[in-house]
Amino acid sequence: MVVGELIQERDLIIIGGGPGGYSAAVRGAQLGLSVTLIEQAEMGGVCLNKGCIPSKVFTHAAAKLSDTTHLRDLGIGNGDEVFNLKKLLSYKESVIDGLRSGVESLCKENKIEVILGRASFLGADRIGVENGHQFDIYEFKQGIIATGSSQEMPSGLMENGKRILLSHEIFELEEVPEHLIVNGCDYIALEIASSFAALGAKVTILLDKKEGYPFDESINKELNRLFKKRKINVIQVFELISTNETEDEISVTCINDKNSEETIIGTYLIFSGIRKPNIESLGISRLKIEQTVEGFIKVDENMQSSIPSIYAIGDVTEGPLLAIKAIKQGKAAVESIAGGKPEVDLTFLPIVAHTIPPIVCVGLTEKKARDSGMELRVSRFALGGNGYATITNKKDGFIKVISDSTTDIIVGIHMIGDGAIEMSGSFVQLLEMAAKEEDIKFPAYAHPGINEGLLEAVEALIGQAIHAGPVKIRKKDLLSI
Amino acid sequence: MLEVKLHDIGEGMTEGEIVQYLVKVGERIETDQPLVEVQTDKMIAELSSPCSGVVTEIIINPGETVQVGTSLIYIKADNNSDTKQSTPAEKKQDPKIETIQPSEKRSKSSLNNFHRVLATPYTRKLARDNNISIEDVRASDLSGRVTEEDVYRFLKGEQIENDHEPIVEEQKITIKKETPDEIPFRGIRKKIAQKMTKSLFTIPHVTHFDEVNMTNLFKIRAELKASGESISVPAFLIKALVISLKDFPIFNAELDEENDIILLKRNYHIGLATNTDNGLLVPVIHDADKKSIKEINEQVKRLTEKAIAGKLQPIEMQNSTFTMSNVGPLGSTGATPIINFPETAIIAFHKTKKQPIVNDQDEIVIGHIMTLSMAFDHRVADGATAVAFTNRFASLIEHPHKLMMEMI
Repeated sequence: MVVGELIQERDLIIIGGGPGGYSAAVRGAQLGLSVTLIEQAEMGGVCLNKGCIPSKVFTHAAAKLSDTTHLRDLGIGNGDEVFNLKKLLSYKESVIDGLRSGVESLCKENKIEVILGRASFLGADRIGVENGHQFDIYEFKQGIIATGSSQEMPSGLMENGKRILLSHEIFELEEVPEHLIVNGCDYIALEIASSFAALGAKVTILLDKKEGYPFDESINKELNRLFKKRKINVIQVFELISTNETEDEISVTCINDKNSEETIIGTYLIFSGIRKPNIESLGISRLKIEQTVEGFIKVDENMQSSIPSIYAIGDVTEGPLLAIKAIKQGKAAVESIAGGKPEVDLTFLPIVAHTIPPIVCVGLTEKKARDSGMELRVSRFALGGNGYATITNKKDGFIKVISDSTTDIIVGIHMIGDGAIEMSGSFVQLLEMAAKEEDIKFPAYAHPGINEGLLEAVEALIGQAIHAGPVKIRKKDLLSI
Repeated sequence: MLEVKLHDIGEGMTEGEIVQYLVKVGERIETDQPLVEVQTDKMIAELSSPCSGVVTEIIINPGETVQVGTSLIYIKADNNSDTKQSTPAEKKQDPKIETIQPSEKRSKSSLNNFHRVLATPYTRKLARDNNISIEDVRASDLSGRVTEEDVYRFLKGEQIENDHEPIVEEQKITIKKETPDEIPFRGIRKKIAQKMTKSLFTIPHVTHFDEVNMTNLFKIRAELKASGESISVPAFLIKALVISLKDFPIFNAELDEENDIILLKRNYHIGLATNTDNGLLVPVIHDADKKSIKEINEQVKRLTEKAIAGKLQPIEMQNSTFTMSNVGPLGSTGATPIINFPETAIIAFHKTKKQPIVNDQDEIVIGHIMTLSMAFDHRVADGATAVAFTNRFASLIEHPHKLMMEMI
């Protein structure tokens, strides 16, 4: 290693070219800052190369494949289409390559200097970048840590064998496993279970009894029902005891919710894993930057760390480990550096799962709303009553709306059903605008369309949805009125 | 990390209003450098830094009133090391870095705790851009949604009241509504209000009036002036007051209702109610009984100047046992002054006017007559004693040579 004698001066240095890092870089350039971005591997980070994007290639393919029977009803194909995983894998590569080169050219167009190498801090305003035998030192005015997080196997229980994979590794697998065991209940685990079941695998989900699914209770129930319908085996698990790997099998022994030992034999075991912030190699602990017990960097509302010249965004900070958080924080950090007054408020961050059918939860769940002591109106509108869902044959699921009955203000919108991801845009906007019931009932909606489901769900709050059975009032209740 | 707390700058101070910070987060500061201005019930005081270092966080916002003991500022104190990195050769050593404490409260609220702001994103930005917290803005919407209009109203200093005013139909007569000018009711003005209210609601006040012939005193003053000694009238008044108070100690007292005791003070600290641009201030002549008229005169001059300049130290405004208000130079013939709680009495001196008076020889002559108003606590003393007190005081002023008898 050669230590460079020259210290090069830069204004803003961003470490990490994931969605948070490159969004920050582009926004910085838009605001007239001179931006340098350091990336040790590939632009796009976990999201593009190993996370969101590859997993959505699979959920997309799975949704299409599960549509083949319906396509036959429409007169398209004959229903015996064969799924070719190799083809999908190369499609995945082309998607990733396309998006990555898109990010690279964005950086170029915005005159962002991209440096390849491993970064480590030498001081509060100085960073070293190592690339092979090259070692350069840069002095910066502001630095943004956007190095993301990595998955780790839960320690102690098992070795990382050939048949125990972290969630992103399954997207590299060259075969559809015969029996896939998925441990976890987060959206990644659920997407893998749902997709691989559609792609032809037998799937068993080991669901942590304590945590359960992360959605509104009604949605959790509906998801369970739909999984059962698709023959996905869900086992409520108290504790994993052991795993045993052979040449072509893996067995998992656990204690189930009936408090008895159960052994499941499968071909692969997937862990959605524990995510750890990527900060060890940065050397920032030497700078005594303030961190949480779990090692995340503490930041204020402007993403500034305890060292004024250093900011941190995305998975290296506390909170949900989601690309959208990183993107929001990345923009906020540079806007604050450029003298603006940004704010990141994740109250209405949607919880999304690209399962079949997809799920979106925004705002308070019914339980949380009840626990807060609010007077509520709650309604569910089944998509079976929506005309467009009948056309597309996507009648599973519902839209659920929760409002504060004293103010009419909507406090939560939840959906399981086709179109949920696109609909979630309306949900978050309505909640951010502090919309009241009438604000949803008043507009005219495209007909026929899934969005009419939201209208009817709100109308159902007072028993006035057109395409739902009348609210049944029991005789007993009638007498008491 | 060092906390700077609001400490008791003056005796009995329990809270203070943060007026403004004189330093910013991230700023380097030296020992004894003033950090913050605090408004107490008597004055504006500066708190200074106990050490050199860097300001890492300002905890309390200006305008807030906080109790003594509340932390105001965090300072990262120096340990005599240079905080800047210098050469790359040093990179192996543990770098010394300035750190700040990321605000716990705010970073938390941005995580996924359900803490909803009932305002549209645009309205929130409007508030941020104007450096106000959207949560401080009261909503005009009954369901609690803050609108753009509410933010603009807040910026103009007009908060919406929680109760919505009924709309009154006005018939025929149209009155053009002029928006009144507003004076912020805070700081010294507010403190005066609180103090006066407390005094008047606690103490049953009785006020009586009297006249004092100043003719002889004016003669003595003129003689002294001719010999090169210029002594102001208040110096004589104070001396006479102290002598009278010694004869009637009940007016130099404090009622301790809790313990059922009347405390007769052995110190004679005379407060001088002084009109300043910022409001009423009461500097104190301490141990006036142990001071000569000349000394009192010098001190009155000095304290009045400081009061007007707003430079009084807390110690110079504390522990008065009796208060006098010399409104004579401004005019007036009578008043019902409010006692400076927890004292027992207050006296106001009014304008001295030339008047025809009947002297001992039954002649009508021109006299210099000053009126006075004396208010006292009727729980502690009675009217007859109060009159006896002002009689004693008047006789000392009317026959100033008697003052000589009291010289120590």
